Amino acid sequence: MQHNSETEIKILGLCVDFPDKNSGDIIHALTNIDLEIKEGEFVSLVGPSGCGKTTLLRAIADLQEPTSGIISVKGMRPHEVRIRQKYGFVFQSPVLYDWRTVRRNICMPMEVMGIPKKERSKRIDETLEMVGLTDFGKKYPHQLSGGMQQRVGIARALAYEPEILLMDEPFSALDEFTKEKLHLDLLNIWKKTNKTILFVTHNIQEAVFLSDRIVVLSPHPGRVSAVVDVDIPRPRGLESRDGDDFNHMVSKVRHSFEGV
Amino acid sequence: MTINRKKASERLVTLVWGLGLIGLWEIGATVVENTKRSPQNVLPHLYQIIQSVFSTAMVSNKQTALQIVLSNAGLTLYRAGIGFLIGIAVGFLLALLMQRFVPIEKIAFPYLMMIQMIPILGMAPIVLAITKDIDKSRIVIAAILTFYPVATNTLAGFKSVEKEKYELMHSIAATDRQLYTKLLIPACIPYFFTGLKISAPMAITASILVDTLQGGGGLGCMLSQSLKHAMSIYVFWQIVFLSAIVGILSYQLMALIEKIVSPYERAGA
Repeated sequence: MQHNSETEIKILGLCVDFPDKNSGDIIHALTNIDLEIKEGEFVSLVGPSGCGKTTLLRAIADLQEPTSGIISVKGMRPHEVRIRQKYGFVFQSPVLYDWRTVRRNICMPMEVMGIPKKERSKRIDETLEMVGLTDFGKKYPHQLSGGMQQRVGIARALAYEPEILLMDEPFSALDEFTKEKLHLDLLNIWKKTNKTILFVTHNIQEAVFLSDRIVVLSPHPGRVSAVVDVDIPRPRGLESRDGDDFNHMVSKVRHSFEGV
Repeated sequence: MTINRKKASERLVTLVWGLGLIGLWEIGATVVENTKRSPQNVLPHLYQIIQSVFSTAMVSNKQTALQIVLSNAGLTLYRAGIGFLIGIAVGFLLALLMQRFVPIEKIAFPYLMMIQMIPILGMAPIVLAITKDIDKSRIVIAAILTFYPVATNTLAGFKSVEKEKYELMHSIAATDRQLYTKLLIPACIPYFFTGLKISAPMAITASILVDTLQGGGGLGCMLSQSLKHAMSIYVFWQIVFLSAIVGILSYQLMALIEKIVSPYERAGA
């Protein structure tokens, strides 16, 4: 998909270092990352564990302080963007409040933001429909399957209408069938809402199926080893996975890892 | 099917236990009856105790055994109740402080544990010396026994909140206040009530125990007097059973309040 729109996220020379918990040595989680993400783009960060993909996402989300370098989201620092409530973060686990129903879980960020009650209710209806859980609003999280819980997490991140969705391996704990269904749902939601999506995964097929571009990260030290444009036509359906160009793209991404 | 069978077997266990205890009691009562040295049987038969509850015979001060027990129970429960409420407030505030300021937790926790390890009977005279009032010291001791389970359980509730939930609140730029009202306090409520369920019977036990130290009424006071044969032995046994029942009821009351105030059901609940 072509994006002629403006740059949404710009990253220049980003480094994140941690002290190792045991040895106290410095771990270079990310070194010298340069990256540009356009408005409305679906970009995946792919790599093996330890490559810093989650760290990169967390640095953008202002959940992790960079050691050096610049992150700019439409000219603002991540902290300013977060305070303006423009990020929707979807975690690996659904992170639902078990004392709240599905509706009230989705409602929670909107309560925090002071969105009027009527508007909240309307948006809950909309997002529940988007994630296909219209009949489950009154249920409690423990009454739902893992896939449904993850949908609630996504609905919660959509309902307050952030500009950027940051997703940290949101489907990694789900079974294949649920995952495939959610992939299609996510693409639909993305098409409808036009959000910029940053998606962290270690699953190459998943990244190829979903993304416009794939940022391949390699570990020790964490760095960008390739950025791959995915030119599989949209809209993509389950059959898109069976084509030669899909397999070709998967192997292209696989071969772009360094030193793994 | 299997659930019903499990319930039935549980009921059977309860029944066997109940009957076994009654049987043991009656054997003991018969043995004591035959070796009786005092005018009243120290270990009366169960039916005698039940009879004494409905008896209109005056035991002392123109009161029946039941009247004595109930009027003193009121006193004890009142002190236990006030101590319990103070303990809840102190315990909850301490938990909040320890959650908020880790150094406070590090400094305060060992002392809290030490206070908890001092036997009530050892603590009571010290508290009495400080407050110089037996009524106040009874309340204070009930509070001391209450605050610890409340504080530790509530703190455990705060600590049970996963890192991701904090990060979620952070990512939507929730204020400090919202972090408490939307996340931390609702998350700790079941733990808080676990603390209440532990400490409610303890506050009552402590009140009764401290009653025995000095006069001024209360169940414990009557308990020691009746043991010294200054009063009917039935007063003693009525108090023993009443205390047990009240202790269990206090637990049930906390469970009931929890059900009412928590507008949600938890997994497995």
